[in-house]
Amino acid sequence: MGGKIRIAIPSKGRLREPSIQALGKAGMKVIGEARTYVSDTSNPKFSVVFTRAFDVPLYVQYGAAQLGITGHDVVLEREADVYELLDLGFGKCELVVAVPENSAIHRIEDIPPGAKVATEYPNLSRKYLEKHGRQVEILTVRGSAELAPKLGLTDIIVDISTTGETLRKNNLRKIASFLESSCRLVSNKIAHRTLETEITALSERLRQGGSGIQ
Amino acid sequence: MFTKLRTTSGTRDFLPSEMVDQGYIEERFREVFRSWGYDEIRSPTIEFLDALTVGIGSELSDNMFKFQDFDGKIVALRSEMTAPVARIVASKMVSTPEPIRLSYITNVFRHSRSYVDRLREFWQAGVELIGLGTPDADAEVLALLFTSLEEVGLKDVRVDVSHAGLLKELLRAVSLDREKEHDLRALMGYRDWKQLEEFMRQNELPAELGEVFQGLGRARKLSEVSATFPLLSKFPDAQSFMKNLLAIHEILEDYGYADRLFFDFSLTRRIEYYTGIIFEASVPQVGSPIGGGGRYDDLIRKFGNIGVPATGFAIEVEKCLQALSAQGSSTPMSTGVRILVSSQSRNGGLKALDAIRKVGAIGLLDLRGENKAKTMDYARLAGIDFIVFVSDSALREPVTILNVQSNRIETVELRDFLKSIGGTA
Repeated sequence: MGGKIRIAIPSKGRLREPSIQALGKAGMKVIGEARTYVSDTSNPKFSVVFTRAFDVPLYVQYGAAQLGITGHDVVLEREADVYELLDLGFGKCELVVAVPENSAIHRIEDIPPGAKVATEYPNLSRKYLEKHGRQVEILTVRGSAELAPKLGLTDIIVDISTTGETLRKNNLRKIASFLESSCRLVSNKIAHRTLETEITALSERLRQGGSGIQ
Repeated sequence: MFTKLRTTSGTRDFLPSEMVDQGYIEERFREVFRSWGYDEIRSPTIEFLDALTVGIGSELSDNMFKFQDFDGKIVALRSEMTAPVARIVASKMVSTPEPIRLSYITNVFRHSRSYVDRLREFWQAGVELIGLGTPDADAEVLALLFTSLEEVGLKDVRVDVSHAGLLKELLRAVSLDREKEHDLRALMGYRDWKQLEEFMRQNELPAELGEVFQGLGRARKLSEVSATFPLLSKFPDAQSFMKNLLAIHEILEDYGYADRLFFDFSLTRRIEYYTGIIFEASVPQVGSPIGGGGRYDDLIRKFGNIGVPATGFAIEVEKCLQALSAQGSSTPMSTGVRILVSSQSRNGGLKALDAIRKVGAIGLLDLRGENKAKTMDYARLAGIDFIVFVSDSALREPVTILNVQSNRIETVELRDFLKSIGGTA
């Protein structure tokens, strides 16, 4: 294969810097990362493309990037047909169901039929709530689901939470959590065959580099 | 809104320029299949749901387009061609001497619940070799798969093989539900031995199995697979499956394709009817397989009372086009020379067109009947290579011919002109 092996990593947000750092610990410096979409790395075989964390599985599944770094939650939400090669350890979070502090809802079972839920994770939310027999109306939002109850859009949100700080700041109370996630190295399935040597070597270096942090 | 101008989700039009590529690829496949003795067949686009879903499993049948016929029976659009071929063989080709070699190039329909708008109608070119259960039959089909993909101009084609029964056989002794089995397959694909060990521990799988899974999971090349052979001594059926794969590999050495045949024991097909070797073809530049197939020895029995072993593959035509463009090669423009005949006499014009078409060039009659300047403007925009001006009904030679690109006019015998542009007659 002619071109470089592309690694798609989140262009912003809480996963961007740790992703660059993880590659750095694995001996791969990202060169000139500021405000570009594609960056070379200190390893001539690899380049890095910056995309939205939610789009990483898409780029990788369709082979526009051979590898990617993104959350396990995102891979599941997108139902992406990719390999999750390695748990990188950082970016730990959980998906939580939350309501305003003064809400009468205290458990999943209290959610009334037809309640509105705002989330960036419509697939995972629907699956979880349906499993608990809750029929709800899901409103898909992009970012800042915690705004929805404040503005009266919905009474319930499903969002990721790392420390619970954002929830507290927005006077929200967690009533359930249902998916523990962390950042993963994902791979296109065909690339994993055709570039096995390179990908396995990088995965191994990432594993060794990461063992120090956790 | 505005549905008059759109096609439904997942469907598309093929404009003339796209049809050149699509048609070229289909024609190449058709020629290769025919030269290997695989006779082309067709089946209805719509069939009874019951006939189409035999053996294919829920993943594919859930994604079929189904509707009700006028008499209330449920019908569906075909989502693949192997089940229709099996039905045809079991019902209409019972007395045909085996092996039966059949091929098809056809559109298939699948609904996709993927988060991107995938094509719901796409084209498959495939073959089925029916009546033999031998490694030689599988090897012929694999060699034809390689040859077909090479014939359309694809480079770096590789095929990864596994055996549909192997993992099932290894897991028979332990009780894992389907979800766990799926997880295990995925773990073998990831080649993450730590996670695999963890999985074995959690599900209390015997350690000797762990050794087998790791060995198989790591094995890609022939030598590595051969090394796992002794590990399988406690699983005689699995060992015989492995023997079968190695035999096929050996035959492909004679075909000259063995160096591009790899093993991947995590490989799964979305269709359930496979009983023996399963395989996927891919090129490094495209992120999903461009074709695949395998052996299905129980499928035809489900249509008739005759057990007939069979093996085959299907190639996705659009994926081949995508792969060709990703590899930077294009299909040769085989459109031919376009010659417009502008004639004051219909009879003379038709005679000239007859001569043009006979040598294999494309002859178009100028139906616009405008003056020379306007005709030349049109020719330029319409991709015409030459204009032949004919003045009388007898097609008196020589004729005046304009080269549209160079704007040069010459007066020559039509036959000499056609010879000069490479006419075949």
